[in-house]
Amino acid sequence: MNPIQDTRWSLVGLWLMLCSIGLIAIYSATQGPVSEFLPAAIQSTFAKQVLVIGLSVVVMIAIQFMNPRVLILLSRIAYPIGILLMIATLWVGKEVNGAQSWIVLFGFNLQTGEIMKPILIMAAAFYISSQRELNLVKPRHFAVVTGLFALPIGLLLLQNDLGTALIFIALYPVLLFWSGFPKGMVLLLTIPPLVGYAALYHWGFGLAIGIMLTLIIISMQKPRWQVLAALAIGASVLLFIQIGLEAVLQPYQVARIRTFIQPELDPQGAGWNVLQAKTALGSGGLFGKGFMEGTQTQLRYLPEQWTDFIFCVIGEEWGFLGAGFVMMMFLVLFWTMLQMMGDQSHPYSQTVILGFMAVYFFHFLINIGSSTGLLPVIGVPLPFVSYGGSSMLTNSIMIAIALNFDRNKRSFSIYR
Amino acid sequence: MKTHDHAQVQLLRRILLGIVVVLWGALFFRLIQIQVFEHERYQPLSQKNALRLETVAGTRGTIYDKNGEILVENQPVFTVTITPIDYDTSNNQQIASILNIEIDEYMRRIERARRYSRHRPSVLAAEIPFGPYSLLEENRWRLPGIGFRQQDKRNYPSSARASHVFGYLREADLDETQASESIRLGDKIGKSGLELVYDPMLRGGLGERYYRVNALGQSLGEFTLATNERRNPPRGDDLVLTLDEEVQAYAERLMGNSKGAAVVMDPSNGALLALVSSPDVDLTRLAGRLDREYWADINTDSLTPLFNRVTSASQPPGSTLKPYMGMIGLHMGLITPETVVQNTGTYRLGRDYTDLAPPGDYILETSLAFSSNTYFFELMEQMARQGKLDEWAGYLRDLGLGQRTGIDLGSERPGIVPDSSKMDQLFGSKQWGLGDLINLGIGQGVFSVTPIQLAVSTSLLANGGQRVTPHIVSEQIEGGVSRNVLEHPTTPVEWIEEDALEPIHKGMRAAVQNSVVSWLLEVPELEIAGKTGTAQNPRGQDHGWFTGFAPLNDPKVVVVVFKENGGFGSVSAAPIGSLLIEKVLTGTTNRGYVEQHVDDYVPPAPDEDEDEETDRDIEVPQNVEDP
Repeated sequence: MNPIQDTRWSLVGLWLMLCSIGLIAIYSATQGPVSEFLPAAIQSTFAKQVLVIGLSVVVMIAIQFMNPRVLILLSRIAYPIGILLMIATLWVGKEVNGAQSWIVLFGFNLQTGEIMKPILIMAAAFYISSQRELNLVKPRHFAVVTGLFALPIGLLLLQNDLGTALIFIALYPVLLFWSGFPKGMVLLLTIPPLVGYAALYHWGFGLAIGIMLTLIIISMQKPRWQVLAALAIGASVLLFIQIGLEAVLQPYQVARIRTFIQPELDPQGAGWNVLQAKTALGSGGLFGKGFMEGTQTQLRYLPEQWTDFIFCVIGEEWGFLGAGFVMMMFLVLFWTMLQMMGDQSHPYSQTVILGFMAVYFFHFLINIGSSTGLLPVIGVPLPFVSYGGSSMLTNSIMIAIALNFDRNKRSFSIYR
Repeated sequence: MKTHDHAQVQLLRRILLGIVVVLWGALFFRLIQIQVFEHERYQPLSQKNALRLETVAGTRGTIYDKNGEILVENQPVFTVTITPIDYDTSNNQQIASILNIEIDEYMRRIERARRYSRHRPSVLAAEIPFGPYSLLEENRWRLPGIGFRQQDKRNYPSSARASHVFGYLREADLDETQASESIRLGDKIGKSGLELVYDPMLRGGLGERYYRVNALGQSLGEFTLATNERRNPPRGDDLVLTLDEEVQAYAERLMGNSKGAAVVMDPSNGALLALVSSPDVDLTRLAGRLDREYWADINTDSLTPLFNRVTSASQPPGSTLKPYMGMIGLHMGLITPETVVQNTGTYRLGRDYTDLAPPGDYILETSLAFSSNTYFFELMEQMARQGKLDEWAGYLRDLGLGQRTGIDLGSERPGIVPDSSKMDQLFGSKQWGLGDLINLGIGQGVFSVTPIQLAVSTSLLANGGQRVTPHIVSEQIEGGVSRNVLEHPTTPVEWIEEDALEPIHKGMRAAVQNSVVSWLLEVPELEIAGKTGTAQNPRGQDHGWFTGFAPLNDPKVVVVVFKENGGFGSVSAAPIGSLLIEKVLTGTTNRGYVEQHVDDYVPPAPDEDEDEETDRDIEVPQNVEDP
């Protein structure tokens, strides 16, 4: 076994590439002419990001020297510790932008929800793959997996960190899907959120989505009760939302919900950010305005341009060539990780790598969806590109663990 | 756990890859849509965001006095703006205290800004002083959401207030912007005085400029596009006045707050050295944003401070008319300098007219010196009997009385010199007779002139018959460089002969020397010639007049002083005139006792049965403009 040859360097290259693009964008977004209008704390983000990347390199290398079993053990120990930290955050945490999700640990501002991502995935994967006969339809197994997810999701909601909570919620059906939970059931689970979200736009959309998912279940030749359940769930969600919008909620509350999912309805309020983000991207055009030349960026029209709207900075200054390139990089990342998953023979490492990929993918989806005005502005970072110490470190650790498992794929075992 | 076999894993992997690619593709198409197809739509939006094309007005012209002292200039003022979305409410207390705004009021303004727009800057405090501005500006980096705008406002560094000369500016209303291409809504334009009359010269032209702004509405300075040629706004023309700052300030000090007017003029060309209408207004309080309280005050003040008495107070000239009566009498051949008229103390024509001058024989010169009414009643009676009323009125108009002088201040009233048609109009056709005309001979009755008209007619006496156009602006400086001298025509009054003026001059000189208050008026080496007058006022205390010039042999200055309800002109108006003449001719004054008299002077209470000389009390419509 040759550690150099067996390392998947393409993944390392992707990591390096995305981090570098991020640094360039953060530099422009905080050190460019715009720095005049930014508070001192924001102006130091570039230096902090460089430090965190340095720290990440050290941690990533250290992880490469660990036995996969040690990592697995660590993740099992880390789950209760992580939960305790999240609970502690509720009391002693630091509030940033309305979310109380940071805790100061050894001089670092740690976002507990972020570090929980690999821990949760690994813990859930361990539980799933360690059962001799895992049948998630069994209430006990289903309850444990659901509990593993529900605990951090509940805590994140209490912390008011909706973005990270959404990532975890989305992760849940993915892991169920992979771990042998009946496909029809997974689809059933996705009906309420998808139909509900579509119905908020218009009941017709909700209906269409509901019928589509039902048709998929029918085409998969699932039992009749699942089809009926799908119809029943879809219909009740539709009815519930329609009654809520028409009869229960006050008009101003309905307006608030509508502007959340369709910010364009309120161009002076919630829609302003989205309009500025789209303007940044659109005015960038094919080739962009040039490094530190983006007027939307440099004149402070973009909100949170060093984190949540970093993609717009790239799109404005480097144009479609730059932004499209970043998207390509992510597609290659997802493809590579799926490839790595497929190369694994152990269900545990398959589940873990898939989970990591899913985390990146949901971040990517929500972040760029928000930036392009397809999704409401929820505020999640773009992995490796956005500023953020905890998320950078966590995402890098996940890359490192995936690299480790990948190199050890032939001898992989979760037991001694 | 039931493990997936290899084929199954690959199938699931492909399904997942399919989902990823589909969703990724949706985002990618969205990106292409925004960046490639909608580029044309967003490009101008971002330009509009970052660059503001602004029509800018050039700086308004500066106004200088005759010696180059700055009288009116521009001062930058700063307005603080707030962009609520970026604003940090923990700064409330601090900013409110820097701006010196009550915290409740401050919160109201923030709330108002929020209601307007959370993302656009609104005005938080307009026209703040430089101190608070610099304090906020220095700390701008820690005051997110706070921005600034700069504007110009008028500043008056001079010791001379001259509010009626300069006039004030106000924001143009909708009608005014529609009347002129170069005035935009919100632009300030002249509303009175020189600012109004010379507005087209003073006002800067319009130009365009691009400037960069950030999302906080802060201007980041001018931005020049290589391809776009920007148009620099031409600045307004500067004006050089004939006014002498020192004389003006001194005249204002002498007039104090009592109602009245004072004019100091160069008789050779009509250049005004000082022009005071009192009381006046504080232009600095009208320069910035509208001080509603002050505006209401000055508009309702019974002393009417906004009214320019120099050009618009139209009152009977009283005895100051007598020199012109003499000139016209001589010219008509009704009298000679030697013609003697006996004053018995009363002049009897249908009723008794009092003559306060000592009884005795009077010639023209002495009748002027002692202001004997009899001489002029006699003269007026002759004119009236010979049907020469219209001829008389024509001559007076030649002298500049009863018609607008053409002063470059606007808002001038013509006054009334009655001729037969005017008498018909006032009394009814054929309803007036000799008795209604006698009073006109001593400048009473249905007769009214403005102080500036008297200054013009007095100049005629002083300069030997040249009718001047009184004016305040002598030069216009274009673009700060090229000076244009403005023409103010002087026209000779053909019928005036130098010789005929001699007895008039002597009489006026003697009037000052022989006055019962000559100790207040006389400065021997200056040879002041003058005439006081008291205009009868059926509605209250009489008005005091003084008109004079000096030195007698080579007149350099003409002074007219009008004191509304001041009582006798000799004690109310003449001492001020004397001091002003001294100030102009010697550059200083050292008669503190006269200044003391002026300061202490209180007009006597109106006399109930003063009306002896007015046989018919006709309400002369003072405010009606002549057609």
